[in-house]
Amino acid sequence: MPVVSLPYEDLERLVGVPRELIIEKIPFLGADIERIEEDRLDVEFFPNRPDLYSVEGVARAIKGFLSIEEGAKYYRLYDSDVELNVDDKVIPIRPYIAVAIVKDVLFTESSIKSIMNLQEHLHKGLGRNRKKLAIGLHDLSKVSPPFTYTAVSPSFSFIPLDFDEEMSMQEVLSRHPKGIKYGSIFENFSLYPVILDSNDNVLSFPPIINAELTRVSEDTKNLFIDVTGTDPIVFKALNIVLSAIYERGCNLYSVCIKREGKNIKSPDMSYKEININIEEFRSLIGVDFTESTIIKSLKRLRYDAEIKDKMVHVKIPPYRTDILHSRDVIEDAAIGYGYDNIKSEFPITFSIGKSDDIEILSRKLSDVMVGLGFFEVMTFTLTNRDKEFSLMRREEIPGYIVLKNPISTEHTMLRGSLLPNLMEFLSYNKHRELPQKIFEIGDIVLDEKTLQNLAFVSMHSNAEFAEIRSYLDALFREIGIDVDLKESNDPAFLNGRRGDIFYKNKKIGVFGEFHPEVIWNFQLDHPTIGMEININNLTI
Amino acid sequence: MPNQDLTFNEVKVLKSLLSGKTKPDDIAKDSNMKVETVIQSAFFLEKKGLVVIEEHTEEKYCLTEEGLDYATSGLPERKIFDFIQSNGGKVPLSLLKEKFPEFIDIGIGWLKRKKWAKLDDEYVIALDAPLGDDERLLKELSDKKDSCLIDKEEHKDSLNQLKRRNLLTVREDSYIVIKLTDLGKKVAKDAKIEDYDEITKITPQIIRNKEWIGRKFRRYDIDIPSKEVYPAKKHPYKRIIDEIREISLQMGFVEIRGEIIQSSFWNFDALFQPQDHPARDMQDTFYLNSESKLPKEYVDRIRDMHIKGWGGSWDEKLARKNVLRTHTTSLSIKYLADHPDPPVKAFCIGRVYRRESIDPTHLPEFEQLEGVIMDKDLSFKHLLGYLNQFYRALGFEKIRFRPGYFPYTEPSVEPEIYVEGLGWIEIGGAGIFRQEVTEPFGIKYPVLAWGIGVSRLAMLMLGLNDIRELYRSDIDWLRKKPICIAKPRFLQRRFLNACCIFTL
Repeated sequence: MPVVSLPYEDLERLVGVPRELIIEKIPFLGADIERIEEDRLDVEFFPNRPDLYSVEGVARAIKGFLSIEEGAKYYRLYDSDVELNVDDKVIPIRPYIAVAIVKDVLFTESSIKSIMNLQEHLHKGLGRNRKKLAIGLHDLSKVSPPFTYTAVSPSFSFIPLDFDEEMSMQEVLSRHPKGIKYGSIFENFSLYPVILDSNDNVLSFPPIINAELTRVSEDTKNLFIDVTGTDPIVFKALNIVLSAIYERGCNLYSVCIKREGKNIKSPDMSYKEININIEEFRSLIGVDFTESTIIKSLKRLRYDAEIKDKMVHVKIPPYRTDILHSRDVIEDAAIGYGYDNIKSEFPITFSIGKSDDIEILSRKLSDVMVGLGFFEVMTFTLTNRDKEFSLMRREEIPGYIVLKNPISTEHTMLRGSLLPNLMEFLSYNKHRELPQKIFEIGDIVLDEKTLQNLAFVSMHSNAEFAEIRSYLDALFREIGIDVDLKESNDPAFLNGRRGDIFYKNKKIGVFGEFHPEVIWNFQLDHPTIGMEININNLTI
Repeated sequence: MPNQDLTFNEVKVLKSLLSGKTKPDDIAKDSNMKVETVIQSAFFLEKKGLVVIEEHTEEKYCLTEEGLDYATSGLPERKIFDFIQSNGGKVPLSLLKEKFPEFIDIGIGWLKRKKWAKLDDEYVIALDAPLGDDERLLKELSDKKDSCLIDKEEHKDSLNQLKRRNLLTVREDSYIVIKLTDLGKKVAKDAKIEDYDEITKITPQIIRNKEWIGRKFRRYDIDIPSKEVYPAKKHPYKRIIDEIREISLQMGFVEIRGEIIQSSFWNFDALFQPQDHPARDMQDTFYLNSESKLPKEYVDRIRDMHIKGWGGSWDEKLARKNVLRTHTTSLSIKYLADHPDPPVKAFCIGRVYRRESIDPTHLPEFEQLEGVIMDKDLSFKHLLGYLNQFYRALGFEKIRFRPGYFPYTEPSVEPEIYVEGLGWIEIGGAGIFRQEVTEPFGIKYPVLAWGIGVSRLAMLMLGLNDIRELYRSDIDWLRKKPICIAKPRFLQRRFLNACCIFTL
């Protein structure tokens, strides 16, 4: 989740209250405070609220939450005569584009930085690393409309941002840091998208890089903003950027997008309306809200709302991307009302608790094991072939589960046996006092089925077969189960000192004295005995 | 009156000292005690000012193997001499060489040096050979173990000679001598041994024959700790898990359990996670090479819901890919799909997997608790009510609720508990399942759901700063960690913050 840096200076100026109050209230708006620094507050906002990824957006929300400025903010949109033509060629590559003109901005170093950070957060989250959408800001004075969004051959060249020489788009992908980072987006395309002005000056090679020509600086007064992508969400993203800049004062102008014979006015900063029955608020939250409480709560979250005939008419701000239906609005009403103001109540639903059968059995087994002097351990279910098989002198068995994308050589598969982990545990503790007697009851996975096993080992200078045989007898005696034993051929154990355990004619486990080579493989040097059984089919 | 400060053993040692013994060995023999017991008692007596213990060192002579051999069979020169004498007092040298090949040179050398024989042409003629001091010493040393009685000055030459011949080695030996102080002498004289005849170890014989009647029992110092012992026990973390299980059962929940391997369908799609959601990346989730069949009855409904909610397309192939479950919510939704009629109250505690490198605050696998309630007329306030009750049962008194976000719940909440010294700690996630999650499975009533990162809770309750300690424990930690866990310990907040080890 994105961590947004909020400089106190900006925040306090935009909101108009001291930082302490903001720090106190911000978690209740829906955020985790990550760090409180000397000069700024780092806050993690949720991925459903990209409109809060800038200090401007946060300031707008906080002003509502603190009742400094409630209700919707309406955006005056002037018409401009600027046009943008969308060439059919670009549609199979990156079909969507939203644009707008912003005039009379007063950029400072910090406000430019804030918008750039917002841009980056949106690229990462909503934009899925620029694949789904990417935003470009341009100095309008450097180019002349109308603009064209088209697709050109990779040999087409221009001067990309941060460079002073012309480069072909192909070179941009192989040499420019942004090209190297995001070039894979165009792996399967023979044409690349570009935004041009009326003199064929390049504004942008979206979503990779803008042209140096339109670089935005503190002197920039008028902006041209583009958002390109593979999803209509580009229009929402544009609204998030525009509403953020708007917080510091500016004038918004629309652009006419000509696409597939249609004229689209961009941006669309209108408020969509949703109508929700007042009962729905009451039943979902469980609070008997009055009409005015609902209105007040929604206004604190910067909605406009009015009630007619038990229906709440809610106006949704144009920068909200997350409102799919009534529930999303009701949640915001609850946040506006304050979670701490909701009187909680224990649910009266009557039911009788019941433990899982395996858990009931596990408890009995661990009672016996603890009684026999074994300490319980818990180990990882992720393991590797070496530990699972080689160190145990065991052949690889079919049915073990390998990860497609392991993160380390240590963890490449799921365990099919607990004993290797117990041996490893002993090796971690080899400098500790003996005897060491440990057991584990835990999940194993074979043939994609999750099963539960019990295993235990005992290591000390006098450990020998008779001891494990005694434990085996004690265990099955205690849980009232008859088993049959047969000579085993498990290579982890010593020939002539190992047995397979059968229950109802089915093999459930093995026990014996570990082969000296196994002990040594785990860097141990004391006799060790062990046993492992599957417990899924034991009926007690 | 017997002196309360003295034990029976101490009195026995005092009495033995009074009779003139000084060495622990002698005292032990004299008073029928073990040497260690004598020494131990002596140290106690020294503390009481009744004896002084002096440490002495002394040279101790030991025969080498060769020396021991000669001590019984005689020195080479003695053997040769005896041979010459028994053969008429004059023997050709060649015969001796033949007879004593192994030491003839040494033997002849010493015969000459000791003037026991002389060489005349090719003959050796025996002279007089009185028993030498060196021979007596050899004998004495082989008979007696204690070499201390030998007068070093008197036998100086012989000792040196034997040393040079490698028949003897010298060792520095330390030993202690116990001597009575003036006070000790007085106490020793006054003490009556029968007054101190206490019983230390009670034997079956003492009990059976009632030998204890009329006798005293040795008093022990109850302040002196004995050897530490530790009972075998369950894993501390397991005890916390069991406690959570117990609380859930008491609240009437049914425990469920399920597969570690899940299809993406149940792990993500059924929970309205868009197919391009970052959590579904190979970067964050462990994938397997296998696929699962999809439940036919739900596929179309899930597809519709995704297309309606997220736009674009929905790919059945992606839904089939198997993953290691990233949360146990996949089990909850499956259970609800199988039990669509109210009421349902279920919980699950199980391992979940995230593709994370191991460090003190991250693990690729850890435990998660998850619970759901589905019933008519349930609302958000009931969810808060449940969470309140749950955290209270775990011993956390101060609880607050913050808005949260999870892809499959709406409204969502993040409960926080207050821990002294740490402030508010986020400890779980909860919410009401979205319609997009419940509708495809025909679930008509609200589902309250919550999840808790049990490992984080355990770190808090066990006072751990390194989460690895739970799964790669030091056996001494397991031995020494008490069964009763005290209140949450102080942890470094940065560790807890970094522990992003749960989501709902």
